[in-house]
Amino acid sequence: MSIPLYKTVHDAVFYGFAVGKVRVLETRIFGSGTYERLVDAPTFAEQKRILSDTVYGRYLEGATGADDVEVGLEAALDDFYRFLAEANLPEPVVRFFRVRYDYANLKAVLKARALDVPLDDMLVNLGIVPAEAFSGPVERLPGYLADVAATLLDEDGRMADLDAIDAAVEHAAFGDLVETARASKSKALKELARLMVDVANARAAIRARRKERPGVDLADGLFKGGALRVSAIEKAYALPFPEFVDAIASMPALHGVDAELLADPSGLDVVLDNLISRFLRHARAVQFGPEPVIAYVMAREAEVTAVRTLLIGRLAGLDRDALRSRLRELYV
Amino acid sequence: MNDLFWGMSGADWALLGGGLAAILGGIGSAIGITAASSAVAGIVSEDGEKFGKLLPLAAMPGTQGIYGFIAAVLVLIFFNMLSGEIAIPAAIGFKIFLACMPVAFLCLVSAIYQGLTAAAAAGIVARRSEDAGKALILPALVETYAVLALIVTILMLTVLQTALTKM
Repeated sequence: MSIPLYKTVHDAVFYGFAVGKVRVLETRIFGSGTYERLVDAPTFAEQKRILSDTVYGRYLEGATGADDVEVGLEAALDDFYRFLAEANLPEPVVRFFRVRYDYANLKAVLKARALDVPLDDMLVNLGIVPAEAFSGPVERLPGYLADVAATLLDEDGRMADLDAIDAAVEHAAFGDLVETARASKSKALKELARLMVDVANARAAIRARRKERPGVDLADGLFKGGALRVSAIEKAYALPFPEFVDAIASMPALHGVDAELLADPSGLDVVLDNLISRFLRHARAVQFGPEPVIAYVMAREAEVTAVRTLLIGRLAGLDRDALRSRLRELYV
Repeated sequence: MNDLFWGMSGADWALLGGGLAAILGGIGSAIGITAASSAVAGIVSEDGEKFGKLLPLAAMPGTQGIYGFIAAVLVLIFFNMLSGEIAIPAAIGFKIFLACMPVAFLCLVSAIYQGLTAAAAAGIVARRSEDAGKALILPALVETYAVLALIVTILMLTVLQTALTKM
């Protein structure tokens, strides 16, 4: 049996059950019709009624306010991540999805310490490290988190400023994601990590250029592990803003991105997120391997974000137009 | 009749050919069914009502194992091996071995690919139960080549049986 056929057969057998499950489960992912009904629902109670027949029904059963919605959706997301492990996906794949929350929690803890404010409900319990662990001393956190915290403390134990915390934690997080993707040996996950780094770098570079920050500081703000070449970005940085955006849009790593939309501050996040959506469409089309499972869990992540936006928006009294404008195409 | 061809008698070659047809066809079917069944099991775990429509997809790669078995049985019957009076010249035995190769190798490979096609086609049923018929056609196309291989093997064995009778 040739090696490609062996791998295909191995993936078909190893991931077959999970992929079969996903083929059914992805038919239950919300389409535009469900989102429209949620937008049009006049009250939170009506939104809950619409969701009662879906996977979110049991998580939001007793929800009466924004805090309940957060707790319910966090539990739903936790179950989606559990599915990754149940689906036989390698441990680094599960880590890839969960470790981001560890870094988010670390950032919250460090910022709370820098500002000398209580943590309150800022922690999410979706990471590898339980949320309670972040309430204790950061030195007792696992090495990959404690090491980041250590770089932000001066000799007197004072915490660095907020910008420094953001930069250090995000650099560590992206570095970890790239390494975890590499350890997973999943081509799809490596591609996803690369795309996430490229998207973050393009976003950072365009924002920095718009604010006319000096180009010499640019390299420090960019993350490693992407396909966007830092030297090419730096070279283009000297160009006027429209030409700079054109140069970024024409880079192979971001092929197909509309430069005009890229230049629009309100459309920037949407355009770049659509790159990830495009990756997900390709991943869904893969027949054998972990890709459809990864794409499914990411689609559910996006769905949770959309549902949260709609429920909390309605609870906050936003009208239909405001809710609709906050929705974007998350999963095609 | 104790002539040898590459150190093996005619009966040895004939049994090796028939055995390989049964073994390789069986291996292919086992792999193909496992690949298709994994996907089918995942779908059924979420939607049990689809079991009936998915079962033919999971079972389809099993036919290659049957073709290999048929080829092996034909070798035993055509050349009077069940009677225990085995009188096959080594050259004919080697040709019987060669005649079994189309079914042996094509059934091995086509069963695996049919299993993969069936696993992919199961995704169609997962999305739309109404398309179960269309989903069945795709792996059935792969079946064609296993059937052709069986026909070739049977024709070759028939020719060899006739040749042996005339000797």
